[in-house]
Order: sequence, then C-alpha cells, then structure tokens
Amino acid sequence: MATPAPLELIAVTKRYRATLAVDAIDLRIPAGTYCCLLGPSGCGKTSTLRMIAGHEIASEGDILLGAANITTLPPAARGTAMMFQSYALFPHLSVRDNVAFALKMRGIDKATRHRRAGELLELVAMSAYADRLPAQLSGGQQQRVALARALITEPQILLLDEPLSALDPFLRVRMRAELKRLQRELGISFIHVTHGQEEAMALADLVVLMNAGRIEQQGSPREMFNRPRTAFAARFMGGHNVLRRADQQIAVRTDHIRIAPTHALRARVTELEYQGTWLQANLALPDGETLIATLTEQQFDAAPFGAGDEVGIAWDDDAAHPLV
Amino acid sequence: MKPINRRTMLAGTAATSVALCTPAIHAAEPKVLRYLGTAVNEGDDISKKCLADTGIKIEYITATTDDVAKRVITQPNSFDVLDTEYFSLKKLIPSGNIQALDARKIKEFNNITPVFTKGELPNGKKIGGQGTAPWKVLYLDGPKSTKFSPTPTDYVTLIPTVYNADTLGIRPDLIKRPITSWAELLNPEFKGKASILNIPSIGIMDAAMVVEAMGTYKYADKGNMTKAEIDLTMKVMTEAKKAGQFRAFWKDFNESVNLMASGETVIQSMWSPAVTKVRSQGIPCVFQPLKEGYRSWASGFCVSKGVSGAKLDVAYEFVNWFLSGWAGAYLNRQGYYSAVLSTAKANMAPYEWDFWMEGKPAAQDIKGPDGSLLEKAGVVRDGGSYNDRMGNVACWNAVMDENDYMVRKWNEFIAA
Amino acid sequence: MKLASNTTARLQALPLALVLAVFFLLPLAMVIMVSVWDYNEYEMIPAWSGRGYSDSFEGCLAQLPELCTILRTYAETVKLCALVWLLTLLIGFTVAYFLAFHIKSRTLQIALSLLCTIPFWTSNVIRMIAWIPMLGRNGVVNQALQALHITKAPVEWLLFSEFSVVLALVHLFSLFMMVPIFNSMMRIDRALIEAAYDAGASGFQTLRDIIIPLCKPGIVIGSIFVITIVMGDFITVGVMGGQQIASAGKIIEVRVNALQFPAAAANAVILLGVTMMIIVGLSRLVDIRKEL
Repeated sequence: MATPAPLELIAVTKRYRATLAVDAIDLRIPAGTYCCLLGPSGCGKTSTLRMIAGHEIASEGDILLGAANITTLPPAARGTAMMFQSYALFPHLSVRDNVAFALKMRGIDKATRHRRAGELLELVAMSAYADRLPAQLSGGQQQRVALARALITEPQILLLDEPLSALDPFLRVRMRAELKRLQRELGISFIHVTHGQEEAMALADLVVLMNAGRIEQQGSPREMFNRPRTAFAARFMGGHNVLRRADQQIAVRTDHIRIAPTHALRARVTELEYQGTWLQANLALPDGETLIATLTEQQFDAAPFGAGDEVGIAWDDDAAHPLV
Repeated sequence: MKPINRRTMLAGTAATSVALCTPAIHAAEPKVLRYLGTAVNEGDDISKKCLADTGIKIEYITATTDDVAKRVITQPNSFDVLDTEYFSLKKLIPSGNIQALDARKIKEFNNITPVFTKGELPNGKKIGGQGTAPWKVLYLDGPKSTKFSPTPTDYVTLIPTVYNADTLGIRPDLIKRPITSWAELLNPEFKGKASILNIPSIGIMDAAMVVEAMGTYKYADKGNMTKAEIDLTMKVMTEAKKAGQFRAFWKDFNESVNLMASGETVIQSMWSPAVTKVRSQGIPCVFQPLKEGYRSWASGFCVSKGVSGAKLDVAYEFVNWFLSGWAGAYLNRQGYYSAVLSTAKANMAPYEWDFWMEGKPAAQDIKGPDGSLLEKAGVVRDGGSYNDRMGNVACWNAVMDENDYMVRKWNEFIAA
Repeated sequence: MKLASNTTARLQALPLALVLAVFFLLPLAMVIMVSVWDYNEYEMIPAWSGRGYSDSFEGCLAQLPELCTILRTYAETVKLCALVWLLTLLIGFTVAYFLAFHIKSRTLQIALSLLCTIPFWTSNVIRMIAWIPMLGRNGVVNQALQALHITKAPVEWLLFSEFSVVLALVHLFSLFMMVPIFNSMMRIDRALIEAAYDAGASGFQTLRDIIIPLCKPGIVIGSIFVITIVMGDFITVGVMGGQQIASAGKIIEVRVNALQFPAAAANAVILLGVTMMIIVGLSRLVDIRKEL
C-alpha cells in the first residue's frame, strides 16, 4: 500500500457560527499509528475527524499529511478514507460494487475494479458475500464491507467514526481485535473516534483525550491511565479516585486503596459489590468525600468487612498523582 | 343553439331559486315539478314568477344537452318536465320514456307560431326544413305511440317554448369588410382566425352550410347526410384544418365568448347570447346574417312517462303558464323567440317589440330582463326582423341516421 | 400466532378492499361488460357485439401505412404524455432535489412545497381561461416579445397548440412528480452522499450513481401519477389545444355524449390497456412495494 506518512494538526479550529467546536488544537500522529480520539459527546472529536477527512473545512489552522498541506483538499485527494458510523453502504449496490465504488468514480474499468474489490473482500474475509446487497448482511459483515470500501483507495490514513458503536458487546470485542490486526498488517495510521475509554485503551498506540474543543491529554494508554494530568482525565479514563488533599487535587487508582482496620483515615462502607475478579467497595469519608476501592478476593478475605462497617484506608505516597 | 355549459353559473341560480321558493307555503298540497333541462329557460326570475302566478314550485335539474339526453334514457323517473330540443326527440321518443301531451289541454296550442306546426311564417312564407325540423317530430300517431306522425294529431311530443336562428359571429373591427356568405369561414384570408364548435351534430351542419356556400356540393338534406356526404364534408373541413384555418374549436359558451373577445378568432359559429356578451364588454361583434340563411334550433317541454294524475295536471298548468306571455316576453328580451307571439307581445313594450321582432331601430335603450343595457337607442338588431331571420332558416339542428358514422368521422377530423 | 396476525391483517384490509370492490372493480367490470354490447341510437342492447371495438379500429388495416384515427390519436396522446412526463420529471426532480438537499430548514421545505400547489388554488376553468391573456395573440408574452423586438408578428403557436397543451399539463402536474421524488430523497441517508464524496465521486457522479437510483421508487410513483392522468385527460388537451388536438380521453367523451355507451366503454378499455402497459413497463424498473 501507499507509503505511510505522519499527520500533523497545527492550531486547527472549527467554528459553527458562534459555537466553537474545536479550539486551536495541535496534534501530531506519527505514521503507522493507531490513534483514538476519545472524549464525551460534544468534545470536538468528530469535528476533528471530519476536518481531517475533508468533510468539514477547518476555520483556521493547517492540516499536514507528510509534506502536503491538505487543509482544503477534497476528501478523495487527501490520501485519507473514511468509514462512517452507520457504515453508509449504498443500499442499491452489491457488496462488490460498494467496495469498487471509488475505483468506478475514477473511471477504472470494470474488470480491474472488480478484481481489486475481490482482493479487499478477501482481506476482510467477505469474498463469499460479494453478490449480496447490504441489507442482506449482519452488522458485523456490513462493517467489514465498509472497511474494504474505505481501504480500496489505498489511503495513508483510515478514519473511523465510532465504528463499533452499532455492534453488540460480543461482536464489538471481536471486531476490535480485527481492526487492530488490520492496522498492523497494513501499516497505515488509523484514526478512530470513540467515547469508550476501554475501547481506546485496547486499540490505541496513541490516545487523544478531548474535552470542550481542546486536547485534554495525549499519550499511550498506559501513560493516560497511570498519569492522568487532570481531574477530567482521571475521571474519564476511569479506575481513579479524585480526592482533594490540602490545596490540590490528587488521583489515586481504586486498586491502590488499601483497606485495613488499623489505618488512620477512617471511612464508612456505603456499599459492597462482588464482581468476580474484584470486589468494589464504595466508601464515604467523614468530610463527605466519596471514593471507590477495588480489592482482589484474596485481599478481601484477609480482612473481611460489610456494608455499614467503619474501616481504615490508606495509599502509598507514590500512588497519589497530583492533578493540575 | 343555447349555452350548454353554464352549469356552474346556473347551478347556483337554481339552488337560490329553490331556497327562495321554500318559505311560500300553500294550504293545498305543494305543487312541485322537477324540471330537467339545460340553462336556457332556467332562471331565477322565471321560477319565482311561476310560483307567484300559479303556486307551482320548480325544482331545476340543470345539465348539458348531452347529459339531459343521457338522463332521459337512463333515469326517466328522476324528472317530471323535460326541457329539450326537437332534434333529440329522434333519440328520446323511441326509448318510450316520454309521454305524448294532449294538444286540447294546451290553451294556446292553436296560437303557437306556424313555424312549428306548419313550417311557415305567420305570413305564410315556407321556411327551410332540412334537418330535424320541429314539424316533422311534433306529433305522434297515438297517445302511446313511439312513431312520429307526418300529419297533425292531438298527441304532441314537445310543446315549443323557445327557438332562434344561428349564424356566424364576426368581429367587424378586425375584418373591416362586409361578410355575406358562410363560405367566408374557410376563406384563407382568415387563416388561423376562424373557429367552429366542437359538438359533432351541430358542427357538421355549420360545415355543411359552408360546403354548400362554396359551391362544392348541394345536399339533399344537410341534417341527414349519407355516408358519402359526411366523408365529403369532413374532407373539406380536414383540409382546412390541416391548412391552419382554425385557431381553435370551442365547446362551451364561455370559450366562444373568450375566443371572440380576445381577438383570437374573428369569424366563428356562435350563439346569439354569446354575441351579446362580447358586445357587452365593449367589443364590436356582429351576429352576421348570411345569404345562405340560418341554422335554427328549437326547444320546449316534454313530460316524463312517469307523470300521471294530479301531477300531470300540474305539468299542463305549468306549460300553459309558460305560453301565457310573461315567459315569452322574457325570452324575447334575451334575443330568443317565444313560441306564442301574441301573448308575448302583450307583455312587451311596443318599442321592445319593434326592436326585437320587427327589426326596427331601437326607439330607446334596450335592456335585458335583468335590467342591464344591451343596445343603445337607434341600433337595429343583427339580421333584422323575426320574418327576416326565421324566414331565412335553411336547416334545423338534427340527429342524422348516420349519427354513429358521423361521430367517428368527427373524431377523425379532430385527430387529423 | 402467524395465522392469527394474518387474519387480523386481512380484517384490517377488508374495509378498503370492500370500497375498492364496490367503487372500482365493480364499475370496471361493468365497463368491460358494456364494451362488448351492441347499441343503437338511444340505448344499449345487452347482446354480444364486437362493434364497439371494430368501429374504433375501423380502417386501421386498410389505411396502412397511413395511421387510422385511433392509432393517430393514440400516437398523439402518447407523444404528449411522453413530453409531459419528461418535462415534469426534469422539473419535479430538480425542485425536489433543491428542496431536499439545499433547503436545510424543515419549515422552509414545507412552505416551499406548498408554493408548488399554487396551480391548484384556482378552478380548472378559470386557470385555463387565464392562459388566453397570457399566451394569446394579443397576450402578455406576445406583447413582450414584440416590445423586445424578438418577433415582428405575434407568435401563433403559443396558444391552441401542442406547446400550450404541454405547458398547461406540465404546469399542473409537476407537483405530482415532485412530491414522491422529494419523499424518496428525504429517505436517503445523508451519510451516503458523504460516503460517495469521500470515495471521490463528483456532484454529477453522486447524482447518477447514488441519488437517481435511490429515487427510482419516487420517480416511478410520480410517473404513474402523471402518465395515468395525462393519458386520460381531455379537458386540458381540449381547451389548451383549441379542441384541435385529438386525445384518447376525447374519443371516449364524444362517444358518451353521442349516447354510444358500448363504443365509449370499448375505448375506455383500450385506454386502460395502453396505460397499464406503460405502467407495467415502468414498474419493471423498480419494485414499488419496497417504497410502500
């Protein structure tokens, strides 16, 4: 496929009339990266993706792909391809014709484009369905077709808009693995918009967490999870308690909270949930702050307690990350 | 011919007249007649006057000429009195849905203009009898017969009420020279500015008048052509149509008025009140007398076979009232002619009679029955007097024996 | 379960089916029956006769290669119908496209659609009479053309011509084409158009490869409306054609008015047959049931 190239966003801004959707973000995505744009709805992640795709034009700033400034180019001239949230397969065209569509638009002859479509269908293991109409496929099959259709133009970057949100949880996990495998095999960048932190961590080389039109934090999944920079990041990535200590906020992973009768910091157990691998204890501090502790079954059995009990809690100093 | 497509206008009028008549409650059983007909005799004024004079309430059922005939044949019990034209009798009488009226019960029967009874003017002059002339279909053999009698009997099919002589209407301001012959309709001078009406049975007779006037052919009876004659007539018309002689054909009253008033046509077959309407818009229009004569039509009252007993008496009373003068004067003032001239004359001012019937210059402004100004003082009626107009009738509206063939040929002509 | 829901569905369809049977199928059956009756000057004779049909096709073989009346009439009607269909399709599609893809506000879409119904705000008669001062010899258009020195003499073919017939019909029936196409367009997922754009399709390619195929059901339904109405029309053709243009509907009207009901019925059956053939041909292009 095409030579992978890095993508760079420089002070990219998107305004819809008075609303500021994306606020001067800078982002560099190295070639061959699986990048997840993560954030709550309305954070600007979809607008960012659409600006990269060329379905929206940035109000300000530049988008560079390799050496080329693609800020105002039409989608097909950018070296990007997009896979739409609902897949947007053409309902009147067969799977083969859907996949071959972009080549048909380029005026490539039927035999060639059908051969190429066949190759891509093979790649996504959909060769057997080439003659079907999209309505005759399951959700997962539709997604594979949509992938094949997007990839036929040999893009340097594949843009995926919440690709897994339409699937049931079981299929979602399976497709997730397949996306990752494909990205690795093709060696190109995938930019994947999602609001699921778990999905982002499972897939991404680079997680970009967005909030209110800005990039809140970016980094590898481990960095993101272990070193949340802000309270928002800590809460969004999950698994953290955000606590106010003296004049600053700190984040402590829920599994780094230790519970024992002897600890000085007293807390009351408001709820206790058994979750198999874990037990989750909801705790209330005397000043009203609440926090969550997760324990292994082993840890719990060593010092069992019940809802309503008063317990002592503690955490190591290096487990507490100061937040800005 | 009469305006057949004023349905919209007159349906409203009829409804009003019924509504207005409703409050008049009579001690005896209300005398009601269901009156099926076209627009020409149906008017608010006539039904109101009739109610006032006789206590008979008229319920109008208004339809086009064609629809009236359809209704007589398919629903004879849906009406009591039928207002129709003589030519339709050839279709209606054989159906047995019309009952013969007793001439002895019609008070003014012997005063009906001899145009109907003998085919001659009151002064004895014979008039043209081609087509379905009224006197050919006025009498039946017997009370229950469906056969016409060539000689007078007491069994009358249709009591005449109103008639007229039709000719071409022209725009003198656009033609700017005298027009004296039906042949002018196909004169290339008026290419793209002529029209005839698209009702086959009437249109073909106008066409026949033209063919005869051009000297192309002389018909034995324009109202009853042979197949060969139909072919010949339609050939002449088709050639003219292909040459672009006709601007448009017209089907209803308002179309004919619009064509003339807008100048789209300058010469066309037309009906007398349509000419009046064009003129009332301030546009010059003449109902032009032509040397070959007029095509005439006449209509009157039939009674449905379903009417008997007291209802039949009411029907006779109504017919007698209609001939007693007021209605006749009313029709004369619209430019039609009434069947009993003497009673109508008694109901008109002398100057009106002189203008409408004697062909004399109007001594004062001539007004229609509704009071609108029709002609200014000094004007002479187009075509002149009753004797001049009815005396020059060449043929009568007709249904031909070869009607079916003629209709098909007419369709062919339209498709050409 | 399946059986029960089937029965319910059938019961629900029953009232409409009855209405259709009584007011459509029954009269239609009677028309077909009457079309093979005999007739005389004033009545139908309930005895088998092919006269209604044989009269209609009189001379069709003998006159060959020249067309007989009915064939010429149908050729004319089909020609007018094809022209009107093509123009209403172009106009209806364009207007629908504009409304569906260029007007973002739902309210404005509805308001503009209502504008398209303006031709129906006046009665047929008034509307058609109003064409005379517009297109007539001394009408607005001719006066404008002469004032602008485009023509010296009035243009005669503006009125009482095929042109005016087509104009009046297109003016009336573009709406019938526009509405179903608009409906089809509103059902198109906007993401499909983006997807096409993403794949490098130009505006024209998107129109040809995505929008038009997906509008086919609307196009077919609109076409059925327009074709059935225009094939049977005789009033507009009559008035705007100055009664000089034959139409299939006119043949029927003339026959009815001459009290030749069996002949009229025969012609109605012929018209029905021709119209059905056109519709069936069109429907083959698409499975209408998908749209309903």
